[in-house]
Parts: sequence; structure tokens; C-alpha cells
Amino acid sequence: MVAERLAEIVGPAHVLSRQSELLVYNSDGLPGYRRQPRLAVFPGTRDEAIAVVRFLAAERLPFVPRGAGTGLSGGALADDIVVVGLHRLKKIISLDVENRRATVEPGVVNLRLNKHVAPHGLLYAPDPSSEAACTIGGNVAENAGGPHCLKYGVTLNHVLAMTVVLPSGEIVELGSKVGERDGYDLRGAFIGSEGCFGLALEITVKLTPKPQAVRTLLADFTSVDKAAHVTSAIIASGIVPAALEFMDGATIRVVEDSIYAAGYPRDAEAILLIELDGLEAGVVADQETVRRICLDGGARQVRVARDDAERMKLWQGRKKAFGAMGRLAPHLIVQDAVIPRTKLPEILATIHAVSEKYSVMVCNVFHAGDGNLHPNIAYSADDPAESERVHKAMVEIMQACIAAGGSITGEHGVGLDKLGYMESIFSETSLNAMCELRGVFDPERRSNPGKVVPVHACKEWHGIPGSAKSRGAREASPLEAEPSRPIAR
Amino acid sequence: MSTERVAAAIRDSVAASRPLRISGRGMWLDAGRPVRADATLSLKDDSGVVSYVPGDLTLTVRAGTPLAEIADVTSERDQWLPLDPYGSPDGSIGATLATASAGPLASSFGLARDLVLGVEFVNGSGETIRGGGKVVKNVAGFDLSRLLTGSWGTLGVITEATLRLYARPAVDRTFVIDLGGPEKHVTSIVRAIVTSPLAPYALLLLSASAARSIGVGESPACLIRFGGNEAVVRAQVGALSQLSRPEELETKIWLAVRQLDGNSHSTIRISSLPQRVVAHAARMLHEDIPFIRTSIDPRRGILRIAVDSDGEVDQRELRADLRVTEENGGGASEVIFEKLPPEVWAQVSPSVVADGLSRGIRTAYDPHNVLNPGILGD
Repeated sequence: MVAERLAEIVGPAHVLSRQSELLVYNSDGLPGYRRQPRLAVFPGTRDEAIAVVRFLAAERLPFVPRGAGTGLSGGALADDIVVVGLHRLKKIISLDVENRRATVEPGVVNLRLNKHVAPHGLLYAPDPSSEAACTIGGNVAENAGGPHCLKYGVTLNHVLAMTVVLPSGEIVELGSKVGERDGYDLRGAFIGSEGCFGLALEITVKLTPKPQAVRTLLADFTSVDKAAHVTSAIIASGIVPAALEFMDGATIRVVEDSIYAAGYPRDAEAILLIELDGLEAGVVADQETVRRICLDGGARQVRVARDDAERMKLWQGRKKAFGAMGRLAPHLIVQDAVIPRTKLPEILATIHAVSEKYSVMVCNVFHAGDGNLHPNIAYSADDPAESERVHKAMVEIMQACIAAGGSITGEHGVGLDKLGYMESIFSETSLNAMCELRGVFDPERRSNPGKVVPVHACKEWHGIPGSAKSRGAREASPLEAEPSRPIAR
Repeated sequence: MSTERVAAAIRDSVAASRPLRISGRGMWLDAGRPVRADATLSLKDDSGVVSYVPGDLTLTVRAGTPLAEIADVTSERDQWLPLDPYGSPDGSIGATLATASAGPLASSFGLARDLVLGVEFVNGSGETIRGGGKVVKNVAGFDLSRLLTGSWGTLGVITEATLRLYARPAVDRTFVIDLGGPEKHVTSIVRAIVTSPLAPYALLLLSASAARSIGVGESPACLIRFGGNEAVVRAQVGALSQLSRPEELETKIWLAVRQLDGNSHSTIRISSLPQRVVAHAARMLHEDIPFIRTSIDPRRGILRIAVDSDGEVDQRELRADLRVTEENGGGASEVIFEKLPPEVWAQVSPSVVADGLSRGIRTAYDPHNVLNPGILGD
């Protein structure tokens, strides 16, 4: 019934209800988590999207918004409920070159927006590694980052306004297309709400002028520790690189073995990819300072990309590193903890010790300048013993990051993956305040149920049928998702 | 004063049904919008650095800490919090965040919302809540730091904040350009600067009365601040000299700029598309009304007007307020009243939190309506 009604709105070609067709939507970029949706609907216009949300509201059906499915937190998984896919909403609605802003639909892919604005000397700064596939709507939901967020800031700093359809079907305007406004920062609250507050249907973003000069440096080291100390030294120097990325020896060799080979030195134990940009004169001076810090810190060599082609190649290796991990094993688990940048050497040593303890191969490729780690382990989820070791190692790494004063996620979001850690960093009252905020945007908690905040942490949710408490309370363990409310038949 | 004492004060106020006016150091930012309160909860005594790790470029302070103290502590390590709101530097960081105040540095370093990494606050039920964290990048949980920034104390009393710092630039130089020439000429200079590759830390255009009040001459002026390494500043000063005839000023002129509001009875901020502001800047700057000080941040698209009064607000002044507002605040602009005489608020500015979401959040976080009731026109 539901499928037929949705098909009336979007056309039968854009509703999937056969289990075999829905397999594609049973995971996101973290294949270790799988949840089979009941059905999936793909509106092709803004009006269709609104009609879909209003139909789901009238039927009181829970749903999960989904962009390109490149997320890395299990956040876009729908456990026997409806997926609302937004990738067909891909119009670039307007471009205002003079005022450096663009208004887009949520399904616009980052790279496409960048290609569209590049001829005008502009760019959209947030650059997740999945930029060739991920969508602006997904970026908004996750408050996505990327290597260049070190200097330019994350999605939060680049979105001016949004037209949002709330889960109730009501349309609201958040933020201001003009610039600043008074009242509560609802736009700030919505960005990074991981699909729990509704769907952004129109997003106005700030565009950034292309820098006059760019230099990309590759510094290579014979030890992880040296590279970590150099990272801290660059940050402490006050220079804000456009990007400061770290790759360890294991990652370098996987990338070099893959089709994304970038010419990294295979015998290095760590490399730093450092990008400086801005006015030519300033960049030249900073380049010299950074080169000096690297060499003083024990770099074997500091190479500067000679041209754009070499620069792109160096970046391609970095951005496709997760993809290259596919050579090692069928599944990949990636963490996203952020630590104070002075703690980098200490935590990298801990990660190394943990990987030995559990006999797993941890590859480190991450945004060192922000202290945003991405330790990842390639493994086979079909091997229970290996999975167990991998999970234990990841929990121990996360605990070390939390103990160092860090956060559990810097850009990938909580989703299902980090739900079990929320109580390690937030008090009961803080989690409840988050539940209350969600309750204002989505009083029935139908939009992406069971994500971000553990259901049992929400005071007044305990009575909701299907919630953890009502079925006998149990602690959610990391890596085990809270069950979502099943679709009404 | 500690978080627990703030919480106790709020619980008492709920029990006694005595709403509170929330105050930082009570030094500045007299917004003037009437608050229906029986008592004041001041954060003045809740001050000081909680933790500062220069290598991480992060600072955690209690909410009552004066901005001047933050400047002192961080400058010892050649760092700074590049947030320069209008008003006395003795004002508190808590008030700065609660009111989302910012100044000329915002066009380069962002607004308060862009520099706050985490907050601790006490909600209207007396519960202590933390949002965000102490690291520079963080998406764990819903974003309570953004929600509290600019909420004017109505969702919770901020008791502690973690801030993102920057290294002080090796070179920091400020110049003034005379904009007293014909309007056409002024427009072309402003446009040339804004569209050039120049990346000043701050760029502020002042009307003659504003320039006069901070002692930089009798005609409209442009203040421009360059920071960075020696080479990048030198290159920019060179480029600027091709466009105009800049004269160097001492950097402390920016402290005077922060006093631009003076004893204004009204301060109005208009946010508009940057190019729209550039197009109208010359005309607005040349309209020299002695009791109105106009400043314009063309890159941020902000026009800010401070209107003076020697005593009673007279109708002529009010009409001038509204005219400026109407002319520049058509559909393409947002008008933000920072300060108005108490009796004028209700006429010109209805509630800024009247929408369903804002009302819902207010009710959830301050169910007994004890935190600054009325300050947002609610």
C-alpha cells in the first residue's frame, strides 16, 4: 500500500520495494553495518520530496533521509523502514558570482558544484574525500569536513541558509541568504543533525575565491613519531596551512600498490602532505618556514609539487586511500576521533601498541592539522574471530582518544557507529538536552530514528513503543545499533 | 560563583517564580530591550582561565572572564582570540557569545559562532549541560554550542566556553585612506579593494562623523588592517598604494573603533549582500549627519549605524533611524536592532523568536520562563 501511494507521487520507477533491489541501500561507506530498508523512494523534484514527507507524516511512518550513501557512520541505514533518497534533486538553482554564493538542491555532488563555479575563480571549500560522489545535502546532515577544512572551516562555516522540510511536512527557512540575522542559530543547530531534524531541500552556500597561489609539499619521515612532532610544531608556529595531512607507512604502500599510486616514497614510515595557499608573497615565505620545521624535525626530504598535475596526483593518493584499502580485505572500519593536537605523538604510539596487541593492521591516514584521526582497519566482517579482534582494537583506540580529551567524531558523525560512545563524552543532562532539541524539530522522532543520541538517554522517550527501555533496558554497546522502530504494515 | 551556584540560583528563581536578568560583567552591551526580571544573575565573579594549551591553540575560560584578560593571557604566547566586538574590552566572553557579538575582524576570522568550540551552560531548570568539546573539529551530538551562541541567555546561562585561538601575526599594520572625494571616486576605490586579491584582516569604511569620533580626520575614511608574515604584508601594502594613498596608523586605533557606539541610544546593524553594500557605500558615507555614526564592512555586507542622543530621544532622531533602516533594509536585507530606547522596541522590532521552532526550543530549555524573559521580544 505504502509503495503504491509513494509511486503515485514520484512515479513507479522511483520506488523500490523488492528486497533484491534494496540490497544496494543496506549499507553506507562502512560496510560492517547492514540494515535492510523496507522500501526506498526517490523524489525527483522539491515538490515531490515535500509530498513524500507529508505522506509519511500523515501515515506516521519513520524514514531515513539519504544522500549519496558515502557516509562513514552507518547514519543513512534504514532498519526495515523507508529510505528517502535525495540524489535526484540535483539542480544548481542559482549562482551569484559577485556576492560569492550559490543555491543548490541537496543532491548536488560537491565536485559538480566546484566544476560549475571554477570558471568564475570560485570554489566551495569543504572537500570531503568522497567529493566526487557525496552530496551537499549529505554534507549538511553530517557537517562534513575534509582536508582543507583546517584553514577554511567545515560545512557549518559555509552554509548561509536552508529551506527545510520538517518531518511533519512543514516548510521552514533557516539562516539568511543575505548573511546575518538575529534570533536563535537554527541553521547552526540543523547542520550536523544527521537527518534527525528533517530534510534540507535548498541550500545557500558561501563560495570562496580561488587562492592566488598554492604550494603542495610532501615531507617524508622514517618514523611516525617524527612526523607527529613536526605536525605539532607546524601548528604551534602559527602558520595555518590550507591542509596538513598525515599518512603512515602502511597506508603509503597500499596506495602505491593501487591504481591511485601517487609517487609517495614506499620506504617512508610517514609522510605529511602540506598545502599552503594565499597571496604569492606570503606563501613563498611560509613555504620556507614549513620546510625548515620539517627538516629540523627529521624529515628526510621535502618535495614541492612542480605543477598542478603533480599536485593533483599527490592529492589523489590521499583522497583515494580508503578506496585503495579495498586491496587488503573486503571490509573497512574507519574511526574519526579528534584529539588535542599536542597529543598526536602519544596517541599514535598508543594506536601502534593496540594494533600489535590485537594483531590487526591499522592504517593511519588523517587530517593531522586538526588532530582528526582516521585509524582504519581492513578486515573481513565474515570472519567472526577477526571481527572481534578488530572491534576490540577500535574500542581501545577510541577510549584512549576520549581519555586524551578528544571527541569521538570530527566529521563522519555519530550515526549508529558511535552511538555507544556518546555517554562516555556527554552527561545524562547533556544528552537529554540534545533529545529535547530533536524533539522540537521532530516531535514524533520519525526522521532517522535511533541515531546520534542513544534512545535510552532521552528522558521522556522511554514509553515509546519499540524504544530500548520499553523492551527491557540494556546498554547499547559500541558497534551494536539501537533498533529502529519498524514500519507500520 | 561556580556552575553549581548558577544552577542553584536558577532553581531558586524557578521555585520562587522570580525571573532573572542574566548579566556578564555588566560593563557593556546594554541592549536596552526590556527584561521582565525580579533579580539579576551576574557572572562577574565567575572568571578566569580553566585551561590553556598554547600548542593546541585552544583556551577554556569561565564565562565572566573579561575579553581584555583573554587578550593578555594569550598575547603572552603570541596568540589571540580574533574577536573584537563593539564595546569595552572589560566585557565578558560569556556576554560576547550569548549576544553573538563580533567586530571588524569577523570578515576574516568569522563570527562568534565560528570561534566557539564548546560551551557549558545551565538551562532554565537548573541543569548543567555541555555541548561541543575542547578540540577544533567536532560533530559529536547535536550542536548546542551554536544554539547557545546568540541566544541572549534565554536558553541557558553560559558558564564556561572553549575557544579557538590563532597565532598573532608576525606583522600587523593598519592604514587609513581618505574617502572624502566624489562619490564616484569612493565607489571605485572601495570596489577595487574588495575585488582585488588583497586579503586584509579587517576593512572598515567610516562616515565623517564616525571618523571624527575616533580621531582619524574630518572626512569619510577607510581603515584597512593587514596581518601575516613580513612578505605578505609588504606585498599588500604595495598593492594598496597603487590604488590609493594609504597613511599608516597605530594598531590601537582598533580599540577606538570598538568604542564607536559611544553613548548611542540606538545601534542598528543591517546585513545585506556585499555587492549591494559596496554599491551604496559612498552615498551612505557621504550623508554626514552629526549624530549618526555609520560604519560599513563591505566584505561582510554589514552596515552599522549608531545614533546619539543628549537626553530624551527626539522624534527627528527616531525618524532618521527608521529612514536609514527602510532605505537599506528592503527585502534584500536583514535588520538587526542591537540597541534601542526601551519604549521603541515594541514598535520597531517584534519578537525575533516567534517562529514555532524557536518557541519550542525556548520552552524546552527554559520551561518556567525565568531566563531573561522579554529580551528577544518574546
